Amino acid sequence: MSASGAYEPRTALGRFVHSFEETAIAVMLGLMTLITFVNVVLRYGFNSSLIWGLEVVLILFAWLVLLGMSYAVKVSAHLGVDAVTALLPPDARRAVALLAAVACLAYAGLLLKGAWDYWAPFAALPETTGRWFPTGLNENTRIRSFFETDQVPMPGFLRFLEDAINEGDRYSKLPRVVPYTMLPIAAALLLYRLVEATIDIWNGRRNSLIVSHEVGDALDELARQDGR
Amino acid sequence: MEVVVLFLMVIGFLVIGVPIAIALGLSSMVFLLVLSNTSLGAIAQSLYQGMAGHYTLLAIPFFILASSFMSTGGVARRIIDFSIACVGHFPGGLAIAGVFACMMFAALSGSSPATVVAIGSIVIAGMQKVGYRKEFAAGVICNAGTLGILIPPSIVMVVYAAATDVSVGRMFLAGVIPGLLAGGMLMTAIYIYARVKDLPRGEWKGFGEVLETGAKAGWGLFLIVIILGGIYGGIFTPTEAAAVAAVYAFLVANFIYRDMGPLKAHEDDPTRTPLPLYRKPYALVTAFFHDDTRRTLFESGKLTVTLMFIIANALILKHVLTDEQIPQQIAAAMLDAGFGPVMFLVMVNVILLIGGQFMEPSGLIVIVAPLVFPIAIELGIDPIHLGIIMVVNMEIGMITPPVGLNLFVTSGVAGMSLMGVVRAALPWMGVLFVFLIMVTYIPALSTWLPTTMMGPEIIIR
Amino acid sequence: ACDPGEMIIKFSHVTNSDNHPKGIAANLFAQRVNDEMNGTACMEVYPNSTLYTDEQVIEAMLRGDVQFGAPSLSLFESITKQFRIFDLPFMFKNLEAVDAFQASEVGTQIKEGMVRRGVLGLEFWHNGMKQISANKPLLMPEDASGLKFRVQPSDVLVAQMEALNASAQPMAFAEVYGALQTGVVDGQENSWANIYGQKFFEVQDGITETNHGIIDYLVITSVDWWEGLDAPVRDQLRTILAEVTDARNAEVAAVDANARQLILDAGGTIRELTDEQRAAWVAAMKPVWTQFEEEVGAENIAAAQAINEQF
Ligand code: NA
Ligand code: NA
Repeated sequence: MSASGAYEPRTALGRFVHSFEETAIAVMLGLMTLITFVNVVLRYGFNSSLIWGLEVVLILFAWLVLLGMSYAVKVSAHLGVDAVTALLPPDARRAVALLAAVACLAYAGLLLKGAWDYWAPFAALPETTGRWFPTGLNENTRIRSFFETDQVPMPGFLRFLEDAINEGDRYSKLPRVVPYTMLPIAAALLLYRLVEATIDIWNGRRNSLIVSHEVGDALDELARQDGR
Repeated sequence: MEVVVLFLMVIGFLVIGVPIAIALGLSSMVFLLVLSNTSLGAIAQSLYQGMAGHYTLLAIPFFILASSFMSTGGVARRIIDFSIACVGHFPGGLAIAGVFACMMFAALSGSSPATVVAIGSIVIAGMQKVGYRKEFAAGVICNAGTLGILIPPSIVMVVYAAATDVSVGRMFLAGVIPGLLAGGMLMTAIYIYARVKDLPRGEWKGFGEVLETGAKAGWGLFLIVIILGGIYGGIFTPTEAAAVAAVYAFLVANFIYRDMGPLKAHEDDPTRTPLPLYRKPYALVTAFFHDDTRRTLFESGKLTVTLMFIIANALILKHVLTDEQIPQQIAAAMLDAGFGPVMFLVMVNVILLIGGQFMEPSGLIVIVAPLVFPIAIELGIDPIHLGIIMVVNMEIGMITPPVGLNLFVTSGVAGMSLMGVVRAALPWMGVLFVFLIMVTYIPALSTWLPTTMMGPEIIIR
Repeated sequence: ACDPGEMIIKFSHVTNSDNHPKGIAANLFAQRVNDEMNGTACMEVYPNSTLYTDEQVIEAMLRGDVQFGAPSLSLFESITKQFRIFDLPFMFKNLEAVDAFQASEVGTQIKEGMVRRGVLGLEFWHNGMKQISANKPLLMPEDASGLKFRVQPSDVLVAQMEALNASAQPMAFAEVYGALQTGVVDGQENSWANIYGQKFFEVQDGITETNHGIIDYLVITSVDWWEGLDAPVRDQLRTILAEVTDARNAEVAAVDANARQLILDAGGTIRELTDEQRAAWVAAMKPVWTQFEEEVGAENIAAAQAINEQF
C-alpha cells in the first residue's frame, strides 16, 4: 500500500497482521458511514430509526482510533515536528530519537496501566495499586460489571458473560465491558509497536517515530494518481 | 506557574521528535500525577471518550472519506476544467482558476491539506506547462488551499464546535462570507500581480465550454447542495450530512465518473472509456468490496486515526487543565489586568499564531478554545465570531513553518523543498494577514449570515 | 482555590451554573461547604460537562476521581431498573407527589438499592414536570402520531413515544436546538426551565402543558469515599446538603412558573389541556406501565399510586 511509506512486513505473520489491521480500519470506517447513512434514510423515508445506531457508531469510532494508533506507529504515520532534529548531525539525531522513543514508551506504559485500571472493574477483575507503576492488585476493587451501554442490544452469544462476570444477573443491554475491552488491547499493542520501533532506532533501521516530511504522504499520493 | 511548566514540557517533547499526540498526552499524565489526586484511569476514560463521547467529532472521519472519494474519483479534475473555462482567460488566468477551483473543492472538503492535494497535484503541473514559474504556482495554491477549513464544511469548525458547544450548523454558515471574501481577495491580488508582470492568459472558449465543463463538474458540485441544503433544510444533522456526503461521493465516483471501482476504464484501453453499468450490473454489489473502495476507506481511516489521536490527547490535556481549574485562573488574571475586547482579540491572535507554529490546528483549537472561550463570553464577544477568528489563524498556521500541513503537502505535490515553498507562499500570506485583521475587527463578516438565517446566538453559561 | 491541608471535594455536573436549578443548587452547596467547613474541606464545582458528562460521572465517582455528581434519574436505570418508575408517564401528578414518594419507604429503598454497587444516593434535586412540544399544535395524542421526537436515551421514553405512534430519535443534547429548528426532529419533551434555558420554544409551534413526567436528579457520592470520611465531617456535609436541598427544592415551583412566564413573555405559545384532552393523553401513554411492570415492580407502582392519590 503506497501511503504506508517504506514499511514492508518482513514475515508471513507480519503480512497477515498488516493486512488484518488495514482491513479492520477500512471495515470500521465503512460500517460507521453505512450505519449513519441508513439511519438518515430510515428517519427521513420510513419515520423510524435504529435506536442503537448512534451508540454503535461512536463505539466503532473509538475502536478505529484506538486500534489505529499502534498501526500508525508501525508505519510511522504520526505527525510531529522534525524541523529541529533535521538540523542535527546523524549521531546526535539518533540519540535524540532514542530519547523521544523513551518518552513514547513512558506514555504507552502509563496508558496501559490506566487502561487496565479503567477496564478491569467492568470485567470483574481487580485494578492495580500504585500511582505511577502497578505495585500489586487491589483486592477491594468495586466491581462495575453491572454497567450496561445505553441502547446496544445484548447479543445471544455473549450471554455467557452473565455467569462469568455478573453473578448470573441478566444483561438487558450489552455490558460496557465489551466496548471498553479495546482500551487495554490497544494500549498493549501501542506499547508493543513502540518497543519494536525503539529497537529499530537503536539498530539504525529507522530514523524517527514520526512521519518524515522530506518524502511525505503527498508524494506517494501523487505517484499513485499518476500511476492510474 | 505550573501551567508554564506544562506547556514547556509539551514543547520540549515536540522539539525532540515525539509525535504531537504523545507529547500532549504524556505531559498531561505527568502533570496530573504530580499535582492532583486524579488517577490514570481517568486518562484512559478521557482517551476513549475523546471519540465515543463526542458525537460532533464524528463528522471528521466522514468528511475525510467524502473528500477522499472525490479526489480519487475524478471530481477535482472536472472542477478544475470548469474553473479554467470560467476564469482562465483573465490575466494570470490559470492561477485565478486554481484559486477558484480551490474554493469549489473547499466547499466539498473539510480539510486544507486535502484541498491542496486534490487541486494542487493537477494545477501546479498544468501552470508550469503554460509558462508560469513553479514557485508562483506553488505559493498561490498553498495559500488558496487553506480555504478548505474556512469555506464550509470544515473539520476545524467541527472541532471548535465540539470544544465549545456552539452549533456546527451556525459555524458553517459563518464561514461562507469570509470564505468568499478571502478567495476574492486572493484572486484580486493575483489579477493585479498578473497585470503588472504580464503573466500568460488562456483563451476564452465561450459559454458553451463553461456549460459543458459545468455539467461535467455538476455531479461533484451538487454535493454542496446536498451538504448545505440537507443541514439547513432539516433532512439531517451536520454529522449525518458528512456521512451522506461520503456515500454520495462513493456513488458518483463509482457509477457516474467511473474513475475508480469496477467500471473504471481498462488500463490498455487507449480511449480510457469507462464501462457502462449495463455491461457489468453486478458492479452495484462489487463496488462496495472493490479494492479501490477498500483502499480509499483505509487511507481515510488512517488519516482519521492520526488526526483523532492528536485531538483525543488534546482533549486529555483539556481535561487536565479543567481538573486543575486553569481556565478560571487565566480568565481571572486577564480580566483583573483590565483587558478589553480589542486587546483580548490581539492576544488570541498572537497565541494562536505562535501555537500554530508547532501544533496541528485541530489539537490547538481543543486546547486554546476552553482557555479563551469563557473570557470572550465575559467580554461580550460573539462565540461564532471568535470561532471564525480561530479558523483564520489556523489557516495562517498551516502555511508557516515548522508545522504547517499545507507546506508539507505542497512541497510534496510540487516537488519543492520545504523552505522553497515557505518563500513561495510568503507574499500571498500577506493577503491572508490583511484578511485576518478584517475578520477580527469586523464581526458582521462572520455573524451576519448565521444571525440572519438562524436567529441570534443563544449564550447560556 | 483551595488552601493547603483542606480536603478537596469535586462536584461535576452538566448544566450552566447561573440559570439552571441544578447548577444553582450545586453552587450553593459549594459555597456553604467552603464557608462553614473552611480549613477542613474545599468544594470545587465543574459545571457544563467540563469535567464529566452524566454518562461518565458515575464511573469516575466509583473510581474516586470525583466525589459528587447529580445525574438525571434515567442514568441510574443502568444500575437499578427500579429507577424506571420515575420515567413512566403520568406516574406523578406534581412535584409534591414526587417528593412524598421519594421520602416514602419504597422511595428510600429504591435509592438505597444502589449501595451494593457502591453508589450512595443522598438527596433528590428537582428540575420540574415534563411538557411536550412539536412543530405543530399538540392537543390530542393523535396529533403526535408520525412525528419524530428527541428523547433521552431510555427504553421507557422510547416506548412512551411508540405508544403515541411517534418515533423516538436519539440525539446529543447540544444538537437539539438546531435539529428542531431545521426539522430534523419535530419535537421534544422537557421541563419549563430547560425549554426556556435552551430556547426550544423559539423553534417550536408551541408547548403543550401535559405535566406527563418529571425531570429529576439524584445527588450521589461513592459509598467507599463517604464511609472513609471522619464522622463529624460526614455529618456536616450531610446536614449542609439536606438544607441546600430543602431550600432549592422549595424554589423549584417558583423557578418553573417563572420560566413558563418568561416563555410567554418572549412570545412563545403554551397550550393547556382540557380534562378530556388530558384523559386522552393518559389513556394513550399509560399502557407503557405494563411493559415495564416486571422490572419496576408492581408493588412499587402501587405504592407510588397510593401516594399520588393524596395530591
Ligand atoms: Na471546506
Ligand atoms: Na505553522
